[in-house]
Amino acid sequence: MKLNRREFLALTGKTAAGAVIFAACGLPERELIVQSPVDLPEDLVRGEDAWYATSMGDFTNGDGVLVRVMQGRAKKIEGNPDHPVNRGKATARYDSALQLLYHPDRISEPMLRYSKNGNLVEISWDQADTRFKEALSNANGALTVVTNPLRGTLGSVASKFAAQYGGKHMAFDPVEQGVLHGAVKSVFGQDQLPTFDISNAHTVLSFGADWLGTWGSPAGNGVKYGEFREGDRGYLIHAEPRMSVTSAAADLWLAPIPGTEGVLALGIARVIVGEELVSDANLSAFNAVLPDGLNGYGIVDVANRTGVSIGKIEKAARHFADHTPSVAIGGGSAGAHTNGTFNLGAIYALNVLVGAVDAKGGVTANPGSALKDIPASATGASFEAWEAELAQWRAGNVETVIIRSANIVHGMPNSVAIREALGHVPNVIAFGAVHDDTMDFADLVLPEQTFLEAWGTDIPEPGPGYQVVGTQQPVVGPTISQDESGLISDARGFGDTLLAMSDGSYGSSMEGLVKDSLSDLHSTGSGSVSASSTSLFANGALQRGGWWDTSTGALSNVGKVNTSAKDAGYSDAGSAGSGTEFHLVPFVSNSLGDGRLASTPWAQQTPDPISSASWSTWAEINSKRADELGIKEGDVLLIRSTSGEIEALAYPHPGIRPDVIGIPMGQGHHKSGRYAEDRGSNVLSILVDEKDTVTGALAWAATKVKVQRAGRRVKVPKFEGNVEARPIEPGVPVLVVGVDETAHDAQEANHHEYQKNFLLDGEGGDDHE
Amino acid sequence: MTTAEFGSHNWGMVVDVDKCIGCNACVIACQAENNIPINTQDRVERARSISWIRVERYWEGDFPDAKARFIPIMCQHCENAPCEPVCPVYATYHNSEGNNVQVYNRCVGTRYCANACPYIVRFFNYWEPVWPESLRNHLNPDVTVRSRGIMEKCSFCVHRIRRGSRQARSEGHEVVDGAIQTACSTACPTSALNFGNFNDPNSKVSKMKEDQRHYTLLDQFATDPNVIYLAKIDADKKVGAGEAATHG
Repeated sequence: MKLNRREFLALTGKTAAGAVIFAACGLPERELIVQSPVDLPEDLVRGEDAWYATSMGDFTNGDGVLVRVMQGRAKKIEGNPDHPVNRGKATARYDSALQLLYHPDRISEPMLRYSKNGNLVEISWDQADTRFKEALSNANGALTVVTNPLRGTLGSVASKFAAQYGGKHMAFDPVEQGVLHGAVKSVFGQDQLPTFDISNAHTVLSFGADWLGTWGSPAGNGVKYGEFREGDRGYLIHAEPRMSVTSAAADLWLAPIPGTEGVLALGIARVIVGEELVSDANLSAFNAVLPDGLNGYGIVDVANRTGVSIGKIEKAARHFADHTPSVAIGGGSAGAHTNGTFNLGAIYALNVLVGAVDAKGGVTANPGSALKDIPASATGASFEAWEAELAQWRAGNVETVIIRSANIVHGMPNSVAIREALGHVPNVIAFGAVHDDTMDFADLVLPEQTFLEAWGTDIPEPGPGYQVVGTQQPVVGPTISQDESGLISDARGFGDTLLAMSDGSYGSSMEGLVKDSLSDLHSTGSGSVSASSTSLFANGALQRGGWWDTSTGALSNVGKVNTSAKDAGYSDAGSAGSGTEFHLVPFVSNSLGDGRLASTPWAQQTPDPISSASWSTWAEINSKRADELGIKEGDVLLIRSTSGEIEALAYPHPGIRPDVIGIPMGQGHHKSGRYAEDRGSNVLSILVDEKDTVTGALAWAATKVKVQRAGRRVKVPKFEGNVEARPIEPGVPVLVVGVDETAHDAQEANHHEYQKNFLLDGEGGDDHE
Repeated sequence: MTTAEFGSHNWGMVVDVDKCIGCNACVIACQAENNIPINTQDRVERARSISWIRVERYWEGDFPDAKARFIPIMCQHCENAPCEPVCPVYATYHNSEGNNVQVYNRCVGTRYCANACPYIVRFFNYWEPVWPESLRNHLNPDVTVRSRGIMEKCSFCVHRIRRGSRQARSEGHEVVDGAIQTACSTACPTSALNFGNFNDPNSKVSKMKEDQRHYTLLDQFATDPNVIYLAKIDADKKVGAGEAATHG
C-alpha cells in the first residue's frame, strides 16, 4: 500500500494515535463535550420580522428584492425568489444600498444657496416649494430635467413633467449604453435589449461585457451561470483586455487590443465559415446581416490586429460553432470605442451565424412594455447630445435644471467643463439622499427618499423574454433619529415632488400611479397574479414584487450590421507629457458601480474580486510590464491624458494586457459623505472627447494616457496577503481537476508533481511509501 | 463525537468552487447579517479586518494565459476542531448539531483558538465595534454585537437555524431541506455555496458531497470539517498534470 504524505498525516490524525495526542493535552475527550448552561442570544428567537417585496430602483437593472423589516427598521436586502430576473439571488451591492437609508450624512432638510458662491442653508419644505415653483415659472420652457436612465413610472413622470413645462428630459449615464441599444436595434430590430439564454447554452462567447460582475443584472446572470455549469458543463469564452470577473470565470480568456473586438469577432466568423462549421442556411443568413462580407479578416491579419494568437482564435471559433447552442454577447468596453457600433454589431452577428437568434440557448427578443406610456427601455443621452445641451447652458438659454440621481459633475470628463456650464444656469435644483459633487453647484438641494421609502415600478432591462413589471413600495416609514430629536431625513419622493408641481393631468401621487398601473394589468386578465378584484390584485402583485406574463414574447427582426466605421481611433497621448503610453481601460467597480454607491461603507470595504483592494483607486498594470518599468505595488502613478491627470496606486498582476492600464470607476468624489469624500481618484474626469462615430456616445475606452511614477509609495488597502495561503499542496491553493477527473486523482497528481520538483531541487523528500 | 451521534441535524456546507466567480456577494451578505463592524481602511491596512467568510483569489500562469482562481473560506466547523480543546474557558465548543459554536460571554480573549485554527477563520475584536448612530438602525437584533477583547467567527447563521427550526416545529413538521439557509448561501448568485443537513441522506448537500470532485481543506490535519469543497474544473487541463498557482 502506497501512502503519500497527505494520506499518512490524515490517517494518523483520524486514528487512535491522533486521539492520544489530544488526550495528552490533559483533556479527556468527554470533557470536550460541553453544552452552554444558558442559551446564547443567537439561540433565542426574538420578535417577528416582516419581509417586503420591492425593486432595487437605481442600483440594478430591475432586480426584485425582499427587505427584512423589524420594528420599523430595514435590516437586510435579499433577492426575491419569485422574481424572474434574479430569482432570489443577490450581489454585493444589495445590502450596501441599504446603508443609504440610514446614512449618517443623509440630507435631512431642504437646503438653499442664496447666491452662487454662498453656502447651503437649511430651509423648510414650504420655502423650498416656493423656490421650486419660482424656478419653474421663471424657466418659461427653458427647463431641463436630468436623471439617470429611468424605466417604469418614474421615467414616465419625469418625461411628462418636462414636457408640461415645455422643457426636455435628458438621461445621463457615465457608462453609456446607447451604442449597445443601437447595435441591438440594427442587428435584431429590437428596441429592448434581448435576453441571453445562458442557462441552456453550451458555449457562451462574450466580448467586453462583464456580465458576471457589473453588466446587466449580475445576480440574474449569476443564476444562469450556475445553471450553465451544471450537468453537461458549458464552455465560456470571454474577450476583454483585462481580467474582469467574467474573464476570470472563463475557460478561455482572450485579451484583444482595446477597440479590436469587432475584428476579433469577424476573425472568428471567418474561421467558422472557412472550415464550413455551420449550415448553409445559417451562412446565408449571416451573409445577409453582414453584406460587406469577411474579406480582410484572414486569421493571420486578425491575429496581428487584435493581438490574440491564431491558436486561440481558432479554438474559440471551433468551440463556438461545434458546441451549440451557442450565444454571443457584447457590451461594456467593447462598445466604448469610436467604432463601438461596428464592434457590437459584428459580435451580435455571430448569433446569426450559429442560428442562435430566438433559439433555446441563444438570444431572445424581449417584448415591449406591458403598460401604456411606461417605458420598458432607457439609455443615457449621447455624449454628443450632452455637449450640445451644455452649450445651451453656457449660452444662458436654460433657466432651470432639475437633477436627480445623475452626478454629472463626477460623471462627465473634464473636457466638457461641466462646473462652468452649471454656473451659467440660474436655477439648479438637485435631489438626492446624500450630498454629491453636483450639489456643490446646486442652488436648491432637496432630500430625496431612497428606493426603500418611495413608490414606483420598474421594468427590468434586459427582461427574461416576457413582460415583467416590478413593483417598488415603501418598506419603512420616516426614521426617527436615535436621540429622538427628529427624523433622520425629512425626505420626499422625486416623483411625488414633481407631481405636486404638475398640473395633475398625469397623476397626483406615485402611489396612485402605481396602483393605476396594477389596475391596468389586472384588466388584461393574464399573468402571474389573478384576483377577483383590483385591490386584491394590487395586494397580490405587491406581495410578490410585481407581475409577469410568461405567455408573452417577441421575435427578432434581423437587420444589418452598421459597418460605416470599422477601425478604432484613440486619443493622442503624445501631448500629455512624459511617461509611458498605455491604453486606458476604465471599468465599473464591482461594489461602487460608477460611483453611485461610493458613499456607503459596505460598498467601500468590499474587496475588489481581482485586486482585493478597497477604499482606494488603484491602477492595474501587467506584472512583467511593471517590472520593466520599475513599478512596484503601491507606487503612486500619475495617469495623464490630454484632459487631465489623476493619481492611482499601482497594482501589478498578470491578468491584463501589457499595453493596457485598468482603473476602476467610482472614487474621486469631492463630496459624497464621510466615507467617500476626497478618497481616490475619478478616472472619468480624464477621459478624452472621443465618440462612437455612429451614435455620438462617449468612447470611454478610447483614451490613451501617459503613465509615470510620482516618486511615492503607499500601502494598497487590500485583503490579499492578510491571511496566509492554505495550500492543498505547496503552490496549489485551489484544487483544479480536469473533466471527469476525481479530486483524489488530482491531489495525487499534484502531490507527485510537488515531490518531483522538490527532489529536483536537491532538498530530498519523503513520500511515505 | 461522530456525525452519527448527532441528533436529526448535522449542518454543513458544500462549496462548489467551479461555480464561484469571486463576486463577494456572500461577504457583504454575511457582514450585514451578523453585525460585523465596518472594515475601515485603517483596519484593512493593518490586517485587522473581520470577515467571517472571505473569497481568496490566486493567480495561475502568466499573460496571456493567466487565470484567476477563487475560493470562499469560512469556519469549517470541524468535527475534530483544533480550536475547541485549547480554549481554557470552554467558550468554543461543539453543539448538538455538529457545529462549532462560540460563546461570546465566556470568551476571555486568550486567542489560543485563533492560533490553533489552521484555516485562519477566527477573528479577534481589537476594538469596540463602532457604528455611526443612524447606521445602528440596520443592525440585526438576532445577532449579538461582540465587544472588544473577544473572539468571533462564522456561526453558520445559527440564529437562522434556530428560527427555521422553531418555525418547522410550530408547523408540526421536520425542517424541509433547503428551508434554512445561511446569509451567504442565500446571496450566492451562482449557487456555489450550498447549506443543509448532512444527516439527511436525501438532502442536496448530502448528494453533492458524494460528487467525485469533493475534498476538504487541509485534509492532512484530520480536522474532519463540515465544509466540503468541490474542485474547480478546468476543461482544458491535461489530466495527470499538476496545477500550480501563486498567491498574490
